[in-house]
Amino acid sequence: MTASIICIGNRFVPEDAAGLKVFDRLQKMHHFPYGVTIIEGGLAGLNLLPLLEQGGRVVFVDAVAGFTQPGEIVLLDHQEIMDTPRPDHFNHGTGLAYLLTVLPRVCDGKLPEEIVLVGLEGEPTLQMVEQAAMMSVAIATQGPMEYR
Amino acid sequence: MARISKGINIPLNRVEGDLEIRVEIEDGIITDAWSSGTMFRGFEKMMHGRGALDGLVVTPRICGICSLTHLTAAVEALDKISGTIPPDNARRLRNMALMVETIQSDIRQAVLMFMVDFANKDAYHNHPLGQEACLRYSPLAGRASIEVIRETKRLLQIVAIIGGQWPHTSFMVPGGVTSIPEITKTLQCRIILERFRSWYERTILGCSLERWQEISSISDLDAWLDESPSHRESELGFFIRFSRQAGLDSLGKGPNRFLSYGNLTLPIDTAVKGIHGRLIGAGFANGTTLAPFDPAMITEEVSYSWFEQGGKPVHPFDGTTTPYASGKSNQSYSWIKAPRYGGEVAETGPLAEAIINGIPLFKDMITKAGPNAFTRELARLVRPASLLGSMATWINELLERREENFYHSVKQIPDGQGAGMIQAARGALGHWVKIQDQKISHYQIITPTSWNGSPRDDGGIRGAWEEALIGTPVKDINNPVEAGHVIRSFDPCLVCAVHCVDKKKRKKSRSIPSGVNL
Repeated sequence: MTASIICIGNRFVPEDAAGLKVFDRLQKMHHFPYGVTIIEGGLAGLNLLPLLEQGGRVVFVDAVAGFTQPGEIVLLDHQEIMDTPRPDHFNHGTGLAYLLTVLPRVCDGKLPEEIVLVGLEGEPTLQMVEQAAMMSVAIATQGPMEYR
Repeated sequence: MARISKGINIPLNRVEGDLEIRVEIEDGIITDAWSSGTMFRGFEKMMHGRGALDGLVVTPRICGICSLTHLTAAVEALDKISGTIPPDNARRLRNMALMVETIQSDIRQAVLMFMVDFANKDAYHNHPLGQEACLRYSPLAGRASIEVIRETKRLLQIVAIIGGQWPHTSFMVPGGVTSIPEITKTLQCRIILERFRSWYERTILGCSLERWQEISSISDLDAWLDESPSHRESELGFFIRFSRQAGLDSLGKGPNRFLSYGNLTLPIDTAVKGIHGRLIGAGFANGTTLAPFDPAMITEEVSYSWFEQGGKPVHPFDGTTTPYASGKSNQSYSWIKAPRYGGEVAETGPLAEAIINGIPLFKDMITKAGPNAFTRELARLVRPASLLGSMATWINELLERREENFYHSVKQIPDGQGAGMIQAARGALGHWVKIQDQKISHYQIITPTSWNGSPRDDGGIRGAWEEALIGTPVKDINNPVEAGHVIRSFDPCLVCAVHCVDKKKRKKSRSIPSGVNL
């Protein structure tokens, strides 16, 4: 199965930079698994939709708040992401829940077979970034089962 | 007399907020307003000492929605410093990408951020079109909302093709662009554009671009509305009918001063006609009275901002961005500076462009009724009609002239200074850059939201949307939809705030939960 690791967030806002720190770490990996694409999703919001029309497995990496203790990493499945609060207004920071809600209604290609979120709670340490990077690659290649 | 002074909660954006608006209300009418950017951003500080080209990579990441506009402003500043004029084909590609970004932003903002308020059941349950509005614009479910997301997503494929990367393309470089699209890719762009145009005409306008552009006055607009069911039932027709019945044409006057830096530099040899070499003209307007644009008249002022006070207002080539939150604590209230043109507050955006470009319908509307939230949003919803035709021309010219240059070599960026001044989707955007010894020695950015969401200046004159809020009736302080219409008609750039998934429910807040691009 093909897979994408989409790292999202804002590298200029420390509270929201975790996903992109993981992206930077992934880019430095010497041996990256065949069939896995890493993407700097940034603040693209709805503009990430074209990346979700190619089937396969999608692993989002992002900062989260209120799911676990600061310094820990949490894994959310598709439904758990959808259950997070959604803004009524589309906006420049449209979240994953908004994105995944509209996805089935606007998809021109093939919906992802599996969607998960690797969430980093609190200010990410180097160790957390390393762990999240390894975890996202493992999930992209093998699925999330061993982490559930 | 009931006098209330409080922050109001307009659900503009995020759980955590970067923009707060405080208003005073007397007998249900806003009598004073303060717009406060609550986060220090300091991109200008971040850029200092970086490599000369770094603005091309860093500044597009300021915003996820309008990253190409920052890329364009950054590259135009470097073009000027390098003394290079990009070849015509590079102009065509740069313009095309920027126009796609503008069009998708306009339509998404209009339907997903502005007209979604028409589906505010608490506010509009008695509106004759309230039920229909819910069917069209309900968040995540309305017919029009879903269609807009799908069609704008398809349009953006053009940027991915031209830019060769999605998201975060950096295909614009000093001297031109980095790649030449294959003929098949250019043809694909043409098909995408034609398909989008058909959808825009059918669904948004309800008529052809040419028919819409025949409208030159309010009476023409009224006649157009009555002319055909397809006009009345289009999103534009519905917007007009709903807005008028909701009184949006009496809300949000603002300063009645308009500013455009101009945009979309024309290729030297092209069939597209513009104003002084650009498709969108530059200028300043007092009402509909135009004055030529002089970049030297732009200043930034910090009397009410949390920045180190430097005395008199200064041009962005001379300004600094040094946070200073101590002192004047009773007066300062924003991390946004106060940009002014010739000392005057001005609004910027599609309405300003329409007036400065002399579009007859909008001149007539401003002359007869003055600016208001309805006219401001109307200008945004129909702006694509003035862009799509030129885009088609440029695609055809790209196919015909593919053998010509796309890049003029720029070996290195010399010492010097230059400004990239364009019209982003939300209005005037400028990057003022100085290069010394291959490094950035100075970088100042003034975004459209700095113009529109500015705090007061040293004369105590309110910023554009602060002024526009004055006189706005607020029927329900807990559901201030009228104030929301006014602010949203300016399309505030709400970006770059904390962006994480948050398990906690949104807290009831007195502040506007939003980000603002400082």
